[in-house]
Amino acid sequence: MTQPLAGVRVIEIGGGVAVGAATKTFSDFGADVIKIEAPGGGLLRRLAPFVEDRPHIDRGAYHLALDTGKRSMVVDLETPSGLEVLSQVARGARVAFVETAPAQARPLQAVLAAAGVSVVTITPHGLDGPYADRVENDTSTFAWTTRMHLHAIAGRPPLRYGPYIPAMQVGGTAAAAGAAAVWSLEHEGERRDIEVSAVEALSGNVDTYFVVWSFSGAEQPRTGGQSKVTYPVGNYRCADGHVMFAAGGERFFARLCEGIGHPELVKDPRFATPDQKALHWNDYMTYLEPWLMARTRQQAFEELQQFGVMVAPTVEVPDFANDPQSVARGSLVQLEQPGVGTITIAGPPFRLDDAWQARPAPALGEHTVEVLDAAGYSRDEQAALFRACVTG
Amino acid sequence: MTSHVLSGLRIVELSEVWAGPMAGSLLGDLGADVIKVESYPRNSQTRALVEGGAGMAPGDGPPYERSGIHHLPNRNKRNITLNLRHPDGAEPFRRLVRGADVLYEGYSAGTVERMGWGWDVLREINPRLVMISMPGWGKAGPYQGYVTLGSGLDASAGHTAIRGYPGDPPEETRSIYHSDATGALTLLFAALTGLRQRDATGEGCFIDLSQIEALAWQMPGSFAEWTLLGRRPQKLGNVDPQIVPHDAYRAAGDDSWVFVAAENDRQWSGLASALGHPEWSAAGHPWASVTGRLRARADVDAAISAFTRDRLATDAADAIAGAGAIAAPIVDPPGQYASVQLQARDWFKYVTSKYAGTRIMPGFLWSIAPDEPTWDRPSGLVGEHNDEVFGELGYSAAEREALEAAGVIGQSYALPG
Repeated sequence: MTQPLAGVRVIEIGGGVAVGAATKTFSDFGADVIKIEAPGGGLLRRLAPFVEDRPHIDRGAYHLALDTGKRSMVVDLETPSGLEVLSQVARGARVAFVETAPAQARPLQAVLAAAGVSVVTITPHGLDGPYADRVENDTSTFAWTTRMHLHAIAGRPPLRYGPYIPAMQVGGTAAAAGAAAVWSLEHEGERRDIEVSAVEALSGNVDTYFVVWSFSGAEQPRTGGQSKVTYPVGNYRCADGHVMFAAGGERFFARLCEGIGHPELVKDPRFATPDQKALHWNDYMTYLEPWLMARTRQQAFEELQQFGVMVAPTVEVPDFANDPQSVARGSLVQLEQPGVGTITIAGPPFRLDDAWQARPAPALGEHTVEVLDAAGYSRDEQAALFRACVTG
Repeated sequence: MTSHVLSGLRIVELSEVWAGPMAGSLLGDLGADVIKVESYPRNSQTRALVEGGAGMAPGDGPPYERSGIHHLPNRNKRNITLNLRHPDGAEPFRRLVRGADVLYEGYSAGTVERMGWGWDVLREINPRLVMISMPGWGKAGPYQGYVTLGSGLDASAGHTAIRGYPGDPPEETRSIYHSDATGALTLLFAALTGLRQRDATGEGCFIDLSQIEALAWQMPGSFAEWTLLGRRPQKLGNVDPQIVPHDAYRAAGDDSWVFVAAENDRQWSGLASALGHPEWSAAGHPWASVTGRLRARADVDAAISAFTRDRLATDAADAIAGAGAIAAPIVDPPGQYASVQLQARDWFKYVTSKYAGTRIMPGFLWSIAPDEPTWDRPSGLVGEHNDEVFGELGYSAAEREALEAAGVIGQSYALPG
């Protein structure tokens, strides 16, 4: 079948994780993504882990998973010659994603705008303001969002999330806005400049509690995982590990009592009101703990789900691959990567028939000549650009 | 008026809590006409029925109109109530579906089918509809009917296991709802992909969006530790195995922290200057090289702590960032509100709604030129747009009153007691 984004050309510039994530979904649903890379390649190609633990520009895990199906061309965009190449290659593109410092982004934006392309810039703090030129990384960006502060126990250091999780969310934000820009360009003929500040993208979405403070004046407490007031919430031990509960609310707590064979506890005065319940966590554990310890996390999960309890097994990454639902759906897919062999990466973020397809990630500069040919550059012109270190 | 990037599209939202509703607000920010069909007579989970929950604005109005976590993902849409389990709810819903470009639902797998509103039914009503189901574990597969919040998906994708201080028991790991944020973003992309396919083929389509799959691809490094190298990824705290320094350091004040990093020699040179020891980056000093610093993590950390512990987090960060290294105060909500950057960009919004009063809200995820997003509608009151929307669907005032009298629609929830 023709993929849904066939015919959409997308330009990627900057080489970071966020911009790589932003264009991956376009690519896997059929867009022609041209990844314009600096000589030497960008950060995404330089992140560990690597195949066989040997650093190589074409064999990093982030590159192999996120650059699927893209075309790579090397162009030094800090030269006038490079900007001229960009102006030619960008013709006919619908959207460009640019992840650079603001000072570098502006000239690129001008060239892309002149080519009629909508532009999504990705920067830590936005294109203007007193912090615009600050250098940030994944974790320092996250520090500005309030989410890191809360992700901790009072008195101990705030914690980041998993590596590059914030950057991936920023990329997802850019992708969503960019997809909307493509829609508008194709339907209304109107191009746009969209600015994604990482701090704003991470702070304006959910999984944040700024509004708890702004509505009530109180902050969310920096507690550990298990709430002993509204419970069970958080990780609880079972026979072979832990399960994650979100069953503190009245409705789900009642279902849990039923699920563990103690429906009488719903009306027990110790647990019947929030005030009383908060005083009797230890008492409740005398019922819940033995029930959990008699079951594996998967058994506890499947049994309690039959009662509509919000609970899930807390697993390590490898276990996700073997989860019955993952296996049934094919949540991980295999891919033949030239020079590497068969690799396993995560499958589609959503399923529209069989429209998602991950193809191998390109070697650095693999498609430079191909793209320049299509843009009409002669042999001599290409050789001149190569000799002047503009392309590679 | 807000951005008109998606003007002309009508979206019907059947979802609650965070992921689905946030997607609706983002579509609304972009100019789509988003109609939130709120569960009735049962309230949405984010609407508290009693006083005392976290994040409730003070006031005399109904508690379910004053919850901050409900307001956050419900701007820029119209709110109607509709009891889809009531026989008289069927015809209004059919009319709504007929005029929609996209309908999405976030209930557990199998729920809408049991109510009689599966894809096979909706496509008959509107052959050009894009329908998206976004259960936690997706539509297809053995986990039919399973219920979850984002914290459960985070646990089951393997993310919870790598968040935390090394060696800490899992009981100490905090629940987070990150998959709600990514689920909302994924829904936008899915909707626009589905619409493009519809326009190419002339036919609507169904999309199965598993929120755990929408999260799983965002951990390529952690997955590859296992799939490429056979290692189980571990909790690392704030450490990056390839970068020194890279950690949270205690600052002056109560439970106050600043994050500091230097990813290369240039940033390290700036950091060393800010710390008052430029000689630490001079060639020949054991800390001057990337590898030298990797071998001296504890000593480098101690040197940074000695600098930060007597300074306010913002002062320490300003000094270090000003010298070209990486540093940020790890802010709480009042600290974020004080950010000179966010204030200079007028990022926070001051939003007034009938019962919650005027509140500071986090701003938009993006800015757009020429048509900036604007906060045209605060979170809708229960059934606030019933008259307007059902009127557009052809229901007269008398018919709307009859629907309300029958308990099919309404503008309030029953409070306990």
